[in-house]
Amino acid sequence: MSTNKRRHANSVPIASFATWAVIGLFACVAGLGYVWCKNQLHTTGGRIKTLERELTDLRNKNEVARAHIAQLSSTKSLQDRFDTGFIKLAKITDDRIVTMHQKAGAEAINELRAVSNPGGRK
Amino acid sequence: MRTTARSRALVTCFGMVVVFTGFSYRLIQVQVARADEFTSEAAAKHVNKQIIHARRGTIQDAHGEALAQNEPVKTVVADASLINDHEAFAALIAGPLEIPETVLNGKLARMVKSKSTGNLEPCRYIVLKKDVPETTANQIAQIAAAAAPQPKGPKSPKSVVSNPDAIGFEQDFIRVYPNGSLLCHVLGYTNGEGLGVEGVERSMEQHLRGENGFRFIERDRIGREIVPYRGQERDARNGCDVRLTIDMGLQNIVEQELQTAVKLYRPKSATVILMRPQTGEILAMATRPNFDLNKQSGVPEQNRRNRAITDILEPGSTFKIVTTAAALSERLVKPETMIYCENGYWEWCKLKDHHPYAEISVSDILMRSSNIGTAKLAAQLGDQRFYEYTRKFGFGERTGVALPGEVGGILHPPHLWSKISITRIPMGQEVAATPLQVVTAMAAIANGGRLLLPQIVSEIVDESGATVARFPAQEVRRVASQKACEAVSEALIRVVSKKGTAQFAAVPGYDVAGKTGTAQKYDENGKVTHDKYVVSFVGYLPARDPAFVGLVIFDEAHAKPGENYGGLVAAPVFSRIGERAARYLGLKPTRIELPDGSKVAVDASTLRDQ
Repeated sequence: MSTNKRRHANSVPIASFATWAVIGLFACVAGLGYVWCKNQLHTTGGRIKTLERELTDLRNKNEVARAHIAQLSSTKSLQDRFDTGFIKLAKITDDRIVTMHQKAGAEAINELRAVSNPGGRK
Repeated sequence: MRTTARSRALVTCFGMVVVFTGFSYRLIQVQVARADEFTSEAAAKHVNKQIIHARRGTIQDAHGEALAQNEPVKTVVADASLINDHEAFAALIAGPLEIPETVLNGKLARMVKSKSTGNLEPCRYIVLKKDVPETTANQIAQIAAAAAPQPKGPKSPKSVVSNPDAIGFEQDFIRVYPNGSLLCHVLGYTNGEGLGVEGVERSMEQHLRGENGFRFIERDRIGREIVPYRGQERDARNGCDVRLTIDMGLQNIVEQELQTAVKLYRPKSATVILMRPQTGEILAMATRPNFDLNKQSGVPEQNRRNRAITDILEPGSTFKIVTTAAALSERLVKPETMIYCENGYWEWCKLKDHHPYAEISVSDILMRSSNIGTAKLAAQLGDQRFYEYTRKFGFGERTGVALPGEVGGILHPPHLWSKISITRIPMGQEVAATPLQVVTAMAAIANGGRLLLPQIVSEIVDESGATVARFPAQEVRRVASQKACEAVSEALIRVVSKKGTAQFAAVPGYDVAGKTGTAQKYDENGKVTHDKYVVSFVGYLPARDPAFVGLVIFDEAHAKPGENYGGLVAAPVFSRIGERAARYLGLKPTRIELPDGSKVAVDASTLRDQ
């Protein structure tokens, strides 16, 4: 009986199971890895998008600042501020302006120089 | 039993074969047979070509001051389907947007017919306002975020908007001009699409515009970009910066003095141009009436015109420089050659002088602005030769300046002249020229006889700062001999003397050469009027080594009766501009004024830096 029982016992193909288990595991890992990679890709994509948006915002702020600086330092703006006395510069009256030729060299001392004083003439 | 089981199995198998055959057929149809069709259909739904807009280049003056540049702005849009309470939301954002609450509410309450269901539903894309500054846009975004239900907070059924995305912002740029109305006609402006339509904005459009880039992107079902699926991409190439020859320091001087004169004389129009005679660079160009480039709506067309290049006027006596230079260049006369001036009236052509002169020298003809003397010089040249000289000086054709809308003026060929045309054209009648043509012709006299192409653009640089194009001085042709031009120049110095017609153009400390012009205008019937004049002065300083040539011209100035002359209206304006410009440029004086009022000329060569 016991001999018969032993004869009819089914053998377990451990090697085959192991092979399929490894294949299954590999497939699972590959699948999960693929999903993880995809997820990472999308997360990175989202981050790229956020950074791009931040970069654009910074560029825009920079452009706005540049436009503002250009506005404040424009000839018209400076002239307006000068006229309204915002820039504390004393207007030099014509009688106090002398344009003279500065001759180079030490020999220029005590020499007659060309001078223009249009305001002082009046 | 067995038969039944087998038949069931067969039926099941057959059913599965049929079903899977159907699936396979569909699979092959979708994946192979109609693959292209479905791919393109899917692409149309999910793939977009996103335009990456190029930044328009800036315009700068000769020293790099920004004259035209871009400012980022937003277009504020709303999705009404995400707004729960239109009125409350309109009340929140009406203030920052500066739109009346009722108008805003009307926009938000707009309903559209759904394409799928055909029912009316809230509009999902409503443009609330364009050109909103960045700071205002941020403020509105914060208001929308605060009005939406807070993610971690308690759920409130009364939130004004169901999602902060109810308000969206689209990036845009507007062109700003920091100097407002200064140099408005030269700079020009852009239209709503950002394309240059006037001035340098138009003539340099191809350099300023740049080239848009693109990117193919895919979107998910709620419209968000799937960044990993980005397709082909090309960066935008930003526009180049254009650097002008204009010096804003000089431009400011010119604009101020012109404005003062315009207030005083209230002319129909007025123009001032400063040009560097050695290179043809335009240093300043101002015209009245003008307008603010940042507030263009409602500006009449006549204010937008750059009259320096689009309006033609009879140049009057300033044209006499051409006649004299031609006669001297042809060696028909010398500066000291005496010409009989018919004692003030030339009978055969009914030509008058302001004062009667018998015999005066060629030099004096210019100094005293004798019409008869000039006509006799032209008569010596003859029709054809005089016409050729006039053409050589650039009259009757466009100068070629890099500004749009330039006209060539009017100069008829000799076969269309009347018998007395040879006596009228030399004194600037029967001919029409733009202010730029007159100043270019005078620059040719100032530089010794070379007609130069007027330059308004100095160079074009790309965004890295590398020079893309440079515009050096360009000689068009030689128009007269150097000796003749020097002789004319000496005569023109005498014009700006106490004996000449332009003593008010004098600039203390400097020798000035120049010529006045006073032309009577014609009425609608072609008859000469006696109360409408075009008065002008064109000159340069220092006379023997000119730093700039300047033209001041007034059309229909309201001067006192008997004072509407170039020497009395335009010349003093030139003097004030010349004085300030000389100081600005640091020009060395060419004559000393002694305390007793007498003047001593100084050799210009001794005034140069050693």
